[in-house]
Amino acid sequence: MRRLTITVAFLTIFASLFGGMAAAYALGGYLESVWYTGASALSNLVILMLVFVMVIATLLTLAERKWSALMQNRVGPNRARIHLPGLSSRSLAGIPHIIADVVKMLTKESFTPKAANRFFYALAPILSFAPIFALFAIVPAGPTLPVFGHEVAMVVANPSFGLLYLFALASLAVFGTVLAGWASNNKFSLLGGIRACAQMISYEIALGLSLVGLMMAFASIQLAGDSGMMEQQAQYLWGIQLDGFDVGIPAWGILIQPVGFLLFFAAAFAETRRTPFDMTECESEIIGYFVEYSGMRFGMFMVAEFVEMIVFSAILTTLFLGGYHLPFGGQWFANLAFFKDYPWVYGATMGMVFWLKVLVLIYIQMNIRWTYVRFRYDQIQKLGWKILIPLGILNIFVTGALLLMDTSMRSLGLLGILEILLILILISSSPKSSLHKPIGQNEALPSHH
Amino acid sequence: MSHSESHSESHSENPKSAYDFWERLYVPALIKGMAITTRHFLRNLWSERDDNTEVLERKTQSLMATVEYPEQRVPYPTGYRGKHRLVPREDGKPRCVACYMCATACPSQCIYIEAGEYAPSDTNTASRVIEKYPTVFMVDVLRCIVCGLCVEACPKDALRMDTSVHTSPELERKAFLYAKERLLAGEPTQHPNDPWRHRKSSDEPLHAHKEAHTRIGEDP
Repeated sequence: MRRLTITVAFLTIFASLFGGMAAAYALGGYLESVWYTGASALSNLVILMLVFVMVIATLLTLAERKWSALMQNRVGPNRARIHLPGLSSRSLAGIPHIIADVVKMLTKESFTPKAANRFFYALAPILSFAPIFALFAIVPAGPTLPVFGHEVAMVVANPSFGLLYLFALASLAVFGTVLAGWASNNKFSLLGGIRACAQMISYEIALGLSLVGLMMAFASIQLAGDSGMMEQQAQYLWGIQLDGFDVGIPAWGILIQPVGFLLFFAAAFAETRRTPFDMTECESEIIGYFVEYSGMRFGMFMVAEFVEMIVFSAILTTLFLGGYHLPFGGQWFANLAFFKDYPWVYGATMGMVFWLKVLVLIYIQMNIRWTYVRFRYDQIQKLGWKILIPLGILNIFVTGALLLMDTSMRSLGLLGILEILLILILISSSPKSSLHKPIGQNEALPSHH
Repeated sequence: MSHSESHSESHSENPKSAYDFWERLYVPALIKGMAITTRHFLRNLWSERDDNTEVLERKTQSLMATVEYPEQRVPYPTGYRGKHRLVPREDGKPRCVACYMCATACPSQCIYIEAGEYAPSDTNTASRVIEKYPTVFMVDVLRCIVCGLCVEACPKDALRMDTSVHTSPELERKAFLYAKERLLAGEPTQHPNDPWRHRKSSDEPLHAHKEAHTRIGEDP
């Protein structure tokens, strides 16, 4: 029974992702035909950012609690009930909690401390939410397809300075955090703000350096578009055709730049300020830069955190996991006769693939957040400055040298696969006993004689 | 030379490093940690939840140990000391003879008794054979430490804590003073040596056959 429920839930997720993307294509094509060329950007703005990102962020507020409960052998929130006949005895997987939380956030008093700087106090939640939200504009969620006779690109904007936009807006997010810490005129929030400032600025560098290798490999900083970074990942490093079915090792970012992937993942995780990088919050000690906030202003900070997770997962997917592309069989799939007649079905399927990759990455982020303990402040700085940044610089040099030898990215891919294999060997060969031994077991007991 | 030997050697030289080489590599340990969390996640997600209130006897793969409290309750163990009750006789009156043994034994002094005497004219034969009864029997459950010494002290099996019900929440402090009417509950109990009982062939109460139990002032 439970397995059936969960299978149905998974199918519902697939179906709603498919349906949402199909609606995005249909609306885009309709707007293109009745309004002006490029009007689909507006429908993408509404459907991709306001519907997809915001709905997933809302659901994540519950998923975070429910998933963490499953990881910790708990049941999770299930007390909120809808008091209608037949529903009052069901927890509905905790979904009513979302409604309850929204109502609570909206109706609670939004308190401003007397000594706070009112203007910056009100500005901070907006500043921490808006740039992160706007980041999603450059992420393509599906292929460019003709719908109703017009080309519909599944991206809000495709500027030629794509990654620079990403770095610029990602670094703006620190202002919201620091302002919130400073403007609420509270010692603890100020501590949180200062920590956020130090942490985010040091990881900004690693964030930038980690993508330089990828920029060199793809010779582009544009995300979408024919020569964009996502489309280039559709090609194969080594590929063969089996009766029209293409198999091979794709030129995905994670294969040609595994170090870059790890660095970007770590740096992006630090940018989201979640455990193990939650120096800014430290729930158990200083509560964080938003300690004075209540009501929907606090809700903005909370939603910003989840939106940040989604956006960084989407960017990771776009840059390193091939976006909406399948690992193999992509060309065969695109050339199916059915999809020639109904291109929007192809687009919606690919969009579903994209969002599924995003969801997997979100799960990994949740998993990390609920597995590891918080870094100490000096450990965070040490990781940022002494490990991530030197590794990033090294990665740039190695990538550059290999690209000079071989512009087809094959030697880069070979090195990447070797690196991944090395990590796998390290994992599988580490002795199990050493991980299960209590710390300090081998230490001699202090002798009194 | 095996790995563990070199490991323990390095420990005796440098006791500060409690971690061996594999742990200091960090990344394998991190990924193993994530694998453990994911295993718990999938196990709890996929398997049916057994809501047996005996948590240790749960059968399914799910590792959840939750008992959903207000709907499900863990049965109390036998011998659980619950809310007090005054044990009634067959005729509905308390078995209590107002001897003050429980109030004396009580370490938190939460029992208050006022004794009354049955009038000689009382027509109830069961009442006539005993002298005293409580006019007021009050337990302050806020003071009670649920030690059960009152139950141990009672010579008449008139006070028990076998209800398996814990003190219910109240809105007023006054409501925690349980009066006689509230305490008098449960199955009526009688014992073979209860003085108001009769021999099968006799109309006289049992105690009439013993001098010691004769009521003072009553004609023999």
